[in-house]
Amino acid sequence: MLRFLLGCFVAVFFAASFFSPFPVYAAENVFINTIQERGYLKVGLPPYNTPPAYYLEPGSEDLQGFDIDLAQGLASKLGVDIQFDRSSTNLNQLVERVGADDFDFAIGKLGLTYKRLYNAFPIQYMSFRHALLADRKFVASLGIDPDDPSFGETLRQSKIKIGSIENSIWETESKENFPNAEFIGFKNWNAAKDALINHDEKSGAPIIDAIYRDVTEIKPIVYDKPELSLEYVPILFDNIIDRKSIYLSEKGKIGLFDFVDNYLKEEWGGIKSDQDILDEFESFYLASKS
Amino acid sequence: MTASSQASKGFSQRLFSILPALRKPRNFFFYILPFSIILGRFIPASAASALNDAGVTMVQIIAFPAIPLVLSAVMISISNIFSVAHRSSEDRLRFSSRFIVALIASLIFAALLALLLALYQSPGTLSPDAKLSIGQFMLDVTDIHIGDAAASESTVNNLWITKIIPSNIFADASSGSTLKVISGSILAGLAISRLKSDLTQPLISLLRSINTVSVQLLNIVLNLAPLVLICLIAGAVSTINAEIIVALLNFTICVFLTAIASLGISRLVFRRFTSSRERVEIPSNPVDAIFLLCLSTGSSMSAYPLMFQTLKGMGRDESEVEASASLSLLIARLGNVTYNVIAIMFALNLYEVGLTPVRLAEVAILGVVTGISAAGLTGVATVPTISVALLYFQVPAPPVLVLLLAIDPILTLTRAATTGTLAMSIAVIASVKSSSKNITHSDDTSLDLLDQSSEASVCQGE
Repeated sequence: MLRFLLGCFVAVFFAASFFSPFPVYAAENVFINTIQERGYLKVGLPPYNTPPAYYLEPGSEDLQGFDIDLAQGLASKLGVDIQFDRSSTNLNQLVERVGADDFDFAIGKLGLTYKRLYNAFPIQYMSFRHALLADRKFVASLGIDPDDPSFGETLRQSKIKIGSIENSIWETESKENFPNAEFIGFKNWNAAKDALINHDEKSGAPIIDAIYRDVTEIKPIVYDKPELSLEYVPILFDNIIDRKSIYLSEKGKIGLFDFVDNYLKEEWGGIKSDQDILDEFESFYLASKS
Repeated sequence: MTASSQASKGFSQRLFSILPALRKPRNFFFYILPFSIILGRFIPASAASALNDAGVTMVQIIAFPAIPLVLSAVMISISNIFSVAHRSSEDRLRFSSRFIVALIASLIFAALLALLLALYQSPGTLSPDAKLSIGQFMLDVTDIHIGDAAASESTVNNLWITKIIPSNIFADASSGSTLKVISGSILAGLAISRLKSDLTQPLISLLRSINTVSVQLLNIVLNLAPLVLICLIAGAVSTINAEIIVALLNFTICVFLTAIASLGISRLVFRRFTSSRERVEIPSNPVDAIFLLCLSTGSSMSAYPLMFQTLKGMGRDESEVEASASLSLLIARLGNVTYNVIAIMFALNLYEVGLTPVRLAEVAILGVVTGISAAGLTGVATVPTISVALLYFQVPAPPVLVLLLAIDPILTLTRAATTGTLAMSIAVIASVKSSSKNITHSDDTSLDLLDQSSEASVCQGE
C-alpha cells in the first residue's frame, strides 16, 4: 500500500512538473534582472557641475553632458528608465557608495587610484593626461628653461602649492606626483580657480601656485579667458594618464561588466583621449577661441 | 631659336637688369614695400608659406659669401695692422685703443639709448584689449609639455663665451660658427703678422683673392635683395596677426625710434670724425645710404662693401678700415644690443617687475652681453638670445619670445639698420687717414674688382 502511494506521489509530481508552467524571467543575469524588475537604472553622479561631462543647465533640472548620455544609452539598451543620485558629498565617497551597492554604477569623470580599487571595480572609458595651470612667475622662479629635459623633474621636486577639489583623485595624485608639494583642497573647482587667479588680499602673495586636474579641465580655462595666457601656463603631463572609469560594485562587476564593456566598444567608440573629447566638443571648449 | 625662347630670354634679361635698380632705397620705399604689402593682403595662406620659404632660401644665398668674407677680411687686416715690418708699435697701439674705446663707447651708448627710449615709451604696458589679443594669439602655443619624447633641447644655456673659442677654423667655417671663425681669424692674423712676409705672401695673396671674390659675389647675390624683400614682406603681411602688431605698437615704435636715433648719432659721428677735405668727394652723408641699404636688405653685412669703399675712398687706411668695419659689424651687433635692451624692458613691464636703478643697470649690462652673443646669428635666430636675461630676472621667457618672434619679420630690418649705422661710426672713429708708410698693398686688387662692380656699388651708394 505504502509503495502504491509513493508511486502515485512520484507520478503526480512528475506530471505536475511537466504540465504546470514555471515563472519566466526576462534575463538569466540576476544583476540585470534585478534592474529590469526595478524598472530603472540607479546611477551615482558627483555632486558637482562639470560641463560638458555632466551638468545642470542654469534654471533647469535636466542633467546634460556626455556622461549623462552614456548612462542613458546604457539604460536604453537595458530597456529601463534612469535615476541619478547626486547625494554623495565628494568623489571618493561616491566610489565607496557604489562599492556598497548604493547604485548600479557610478559615473562622472571618475579617475582611477589604488585607494578607489579597494572599494569598487573600474571600467576605463577615457584616457586623460594630467595637467597643471601654473602661475608663470612660479615657473620662472624654478630657474630652468621649460624646454630643458630636466624641467619636469625640477617641477615635481619643487615646493609648489597645488590646489584642486578636496577628497578627489587630484589630492591623491598630487601627493604621489609632487612629493614636496603642499596640497590645498577646495570645495569645488571654481573655488580652486578663484584661489589661483586672486592673490591674498593682505600680503598680495599668491594663495596657490597651480591648480591640478586633467587636460579637459585645464585648457578650457585659458580658452575661456585668453588674457590669462600671459600670467598662467598649462603644463601638460604627456606621461601621467588619468584612466577615467565607470565604477561597479562586486556584484555589478559580475553582472554588468560585459554589458558595459560591449556598449563602450560598440556605441561609445572605445577609450577616448582628452584630445578626442576636446575635438568632439570643440564648440563648447573653444567658444572663445573661435 | 624659336620666337618663344627669344621672348623668354628677353624677359629674363629685362628682369635681371631691373633687379639692381630696385635695390635703390628710394625704390624700396616707393615700389617694393607697397607692392609687397598689397600682395601680402591678397595671397592665400598656402602661397604665403611658399613665398616665405623662397625668401628664406634667397637670404641663405645672400649670406653665403659671409664666412669667407669675414675670414679673409679679419685675417688680412689683423696681419697688416700687427705686422712688425709694416707698422710701428705706436700705430698698432693707436688703432687697437681707438677701436676698443669706440667699440665700448658704442656699446654703452647703444644700451643707454635703448634704455632711455624704453623708459619713455614703456613697451609692455598693455591695455586689456591688447592683453586679450595677445592671449588669443598665445593659446596652445606656449603650453609646456612634460614627458614628451620629442621635447626640444634647451636654448638658454648657449652663452656666447662657450661659442667664441675656435676649434678648427675649417670645421667652424663649414658649421657656420661665425664667432669662432672671427676669433680664429684674429689669432691666425696675429700669427701671420709675426712671420716674414716672404713666408706669408702666398697665403695673403690667396686670402685677398678670396676676399675680393667674396665681395664681388656679395654684390651679385645682393641683386636678389628686392625679390627677398617681396617674398618675406608679403609672407609676413599675410601671416602676421594685425592685432598683435597693434598690441605691441609701443615696442615696435621704440625699436624704430632707436634705429632713427642711431642714424642721427652716426651722422654726427661721421661729420665729427671726418675732415671736410675727406668729405669733399662724397655728395651726401654715406651713413644714410648704409642705413637704407641695411633696412632694405635686412642684413648688416650687406653694408660692408659700401663702408669699405666709402672709407677707403676718403683715404682711410685700408687695413684699419677692413678690420674695424668687419669686426664692428660682426662682433658689436649694436642693433641686437638695442633690441635686446628694449625687449627685456618690454618683458619687465609686461610682468610688472619694479624698475630700480640697479635693475636698470642690470638690464643694460644683460642687453649688451646677450646682444653680443647674437654674433653669427641672423634674423629670428637672434631673438632667443634674451632668454638668459629673462631667466635672470625670473620673468617667463616663452610668452615673451612667442610675441617677439611674431613681429620679428618687421623688426629684423631695423635691427640690421642700427647695426650697420653704428658699425660705420666705430669704423670712422677707429680708422685714420692713410699715410704712405702704412700702404701695404701695392696691387690694390680688391678695390679694382669692387670698381668693376660699379653698377651694384652705385645702387648701394644712393
